[in-house]
Amino acid sequence: METTLLETETTTFGNTALCFQCAKCSSGCPISEEMDVLPHQVIHLASLGLTKRVLSTDTIWICANCYACAVKCPNDIDITGIMNSLKQKAIERGMEPSRPEIYKFHQVFAQDVYRRGKAHELWIMGEYNMRLRKPFKNVMLAPKMFLKNKLKIRPPKQVRGFKGWLKKLLSKKSDTS
Amino acid sequence: MNNKKIALYPGCSLETSSSHYMKSLERVFQILGTEYMPMKDWNCCGATSVKSIDQDMNLMLNLRNLALAEEQGIKELVVPCASCYHRLVSTQWELNQDPQKLKQLNRETGFRYRGGVKVRNILDFLVNLVGLEQIAARVVKPLEGLLVACYYGCLNTRVPKSEVFDVMEYPMSMDRIVEALGAEVVDWSYKTECCGASLFLTMDSISEKLVGRILRDASLREVDCITVSCPMCQTNLDTKQPKIREHHHIEKPLPSPFITQLMGLAFGCSPEAVGLDKNFETLGPLV
Repeated sequence: METTLLETETTTFGNTALCFQCAKCSSGCPISEEMDVLPHQVIHLASLGLTKRVLSTDTIWICANCYACAVKCPNDIDITGIMNSLKQKAIERGMEPSRPEIYKFHQVFAQDVYRRGKAHELWIMGEYNMRLRKPFKNVMLAPKMFLKNKLKIRPPKQVRGFKGWLKKLLSKKSDTS
Repeated sequence: MNNKKIALYPGCSLETSSSHYMKSLERVFQILGTEYMPMKDWNCCGATSVKSIDQDMNLMLNLRNLALAEEQGIKELVVPCASCYHRLVSTQWELNQDPQKLKQLNRETGFRYRGGVKVRNILDFLVNLVGLEQIAARVVKPLEGLLVACYYGCLNTRVPKSEVFDVMEYPMSMDRIVEALGAEVVDWSYKTECCGASLFLTMDSISEKLVGRILRDASLREVDCITVSCPMCQTNLDTKQPKIREHHHIEKPLPSPFITQLMGLAFGCSPEAVGLDKNFETLGPLV
């Protein structure tokens, strides 16, 4: 059994060992019915160190980051934070995300922000569809939003100093790793 | 801090898909006599996406904003977008809890953030710094007869406990503003229920279900509109309404104006002046 998973979970996001399975998180979660494993079960699996099992759940990807679980926890466990940390761990371990369409969205969004320091909504929607190979996903939204001038064709201007800062940061990061 | 001169962190969506939020905010600030300066060289907060795949990068993006604000001599930073607010205030809290991490990230990012800058939610600013009396005093066209559900969404109040400016699960700040405008508010069950955020694009069936429940509860209470202060909530409640209403057997359209749009209307602005022409479901003859 692997028990290394919890290092960050016991510091930044509270101590999962304190979870006594009251399931307030799961009953407060607005989308628990869509999940394969309920939030309190995720915490249990994580706390037992059942790494592979917990990292392959749909739950960690479907979580909408609304923090309903975290604010309801009587033991101050930041369940939402743990869900994010588990997503990142799944990727770092080279696991195929159980909900690739959600992972791809986060990737496309992040990479777009790294380009200039701000998000370009139209580009994100377009690139996301291309990466999914579903060019027509949400396509009905585009004309509707264009009509109201809500989607800008031009990307936002480069944030002054951002690109250089990020480049330096990433090169430092790759030096140390 | 006074309410006369403030620094603003606008966030990406106020420049594009929610430019009507910005437009109404500008008008409201103007009428309240609040001069605002956007902070310089801010970057995207990373929203939910960056923290889902790279948590250190999420902290660093927000540390950059906080450090720049500190360098620019900003003591308080007013944030209208709930998601940006949540990212900034949570990052600050996390770094203040963990001095080691702050030191490490300062070193890696080349910034020297010292933990200062008060990050202030727009609702907190309006209610606690401008004040309800000041708001009521500017009302020239009271929104009499308008029944409003105030929708806060998740991220305005679900911040680290020490930072909460309102009641976390049943906030009232927006309700108080709406009352000051002469409208009536309802008690309802979905004030802080999630709209699905980016599931709107990735798993639309889930987000439509969540939005449907919110709309249905509001419609059963026979409100005229649902007011919001979060760009993502506004987009989700507004954009796919005809389809969602049909699924959930909701007859009447439910406009979802930003709180600043309602304020502008009560302050005597035209619907266009506060960007109401950009909402899909319009308030129409209601105001």
